[in-house]
Amino acid sequence: MPITTAHSSKPLAQAVEDLLAQCGPCMPRFVLFFASTTYQPQLLSERLQAAFPGACVAGCSTAGEIGAGKMMTGSVVAMFLPGDVVEDVCAAVIENLHAEIPVSQAFAHFEGHFQLPVSSLDLTRYVGLVLIDGLSGASERLMEKIGDHSDVLFVGGAAGDDMKFRKTYVCAAGKAHTDAAVLLLLRLKNGFDILKTQSFLPTGKRLVATQVDEARRMVIQFDGKPALQAYAEAIGARPRGVPDHFMDRPLGLMINGEPFVRSPQRIDGNSMVFYCQIKEGMHLEVLKGTDIVADTRAALAARKSALGHISGLIDFHCILRTLELRSEKRCDEYGSIFSGIPAIGFSTYGEEYLGHMNQTSTMLLFR
Amino acid sequence: MAGRIKRMIDLIIERRAKGNLLLTDTTKAKLIFKGVNPDAFTALSPDDPRTEERVRIIAAELGVSL
Repeated sequence: MPITTAHSSKPLAQAVEDLLAQCGPCMPRFVLFFASTTYQPQLLSERLQAAFPGACVAGCSTAGEIGAGKMMTGSVVAMFLPGDVVEDVCAAVIENLHAEIPVSQAFAHFEGHFQLPVSSLDLTRYVGLVLIDGLSGASERLMEKIGDHSDVLFVGGAAGDDMKFRKTYVCAAGKAHTDAAVLLLLRLKNGFDILKTQSFLPTGKRLVATQVDEARRMVIQFDGKPALQAYAEAIGARPRGVPDHFMDRPLGLMINGEPFVRSPQRIDGNSMVFYCQIKEGMHLEVLKGTDIVADTRAALAARKSALGHISGLIDFHCILRTLELRSEKRCDEYGSIFSGIPAIGFSTYGEEYLGHMNQTSTMLLFR
Repeated sequence: MAGRIKRMIDLIIERRAKGNLLLTDTTKAKLIFKGVNPDAFTALSPDDPRTEERVRIIAAELGVSL
């Protein structure tokens, strides 16, 4: 059976029936859903688990959904993955992210389920998904702990709440949680690939974070100067006009020539607050925006050509990219990039792959 | 004295990646996310107790004994 997807904008009870009908006779092993907060998260999680009692059902709230080759709002999208794609899957919920993050308990749960030490897993067949409360501010700590515990690659996103910035939810096994993350470990029959794409080029101008407040995601100084002044000089703008350049001139933590984007959020006095943590001593490249649609289309086409076939795709798509596409009225163009591939996704409050980042799409591609 | 930080970093990568090229890249990425860029240190980089302590802590977090 192939991977199938579904979407609905009907009220909750009918939406669940609608998704069930679109799933057809397929008996999914794993159901992944992304839903607007117009759907009551606890009730939706409960109803979807009841609709697919034999499946692992997980998902999260969004700031916009991607499905059926469209970018949507106020809807729920779902992906149904049969047993001949996902041979086995295990979900672990990590609660109280504001305190210590007990990742080791989640991995012990995985080891119990798969009856294998995580250190012995075949890295070409096992992949992790991570969904995290997008307002917890804990994404960096969580991704770091996951990376400490395992070499399995985890990809995912931070849940949204339709840009209300009040409460986001992650869901698993018929429940909805805040201040929590859902980790999913999947054993795939045919393997996977991960695509990380962002539409920026390095400008050659660099800044070194010389004084930071990590917990507040704040940079106090770059290159020994007040952060605002150093950033303004680097982008050639007046300090007062700096926020106008935030979207187009974020900073990149360069790894193997690829930027992991850190987006400025706001100015605080002479300091700058970012949407993700910057550590003291980090060398960052000033980036310059390029074309999201063209870049994403090219990146996916190249990967499709290399893999030969993509049987399904999950796109964790930054809300800042969505906002740019909305302002340019290019959402339909972006959605059409995925035509011909069973795909779902959502607009996130941060993307996860090896670490936490912004203004990026992290995608899991099923082979 | 020089080069101790690079030797420590190389050891972390070697012990964690065990020769696997994918793991070599992801381990380097993890180090950069933790605030230590392997490419910023060479055999000529001066020894620095503060950075060495930081690398020792990172090694422990990654489950590598130096």
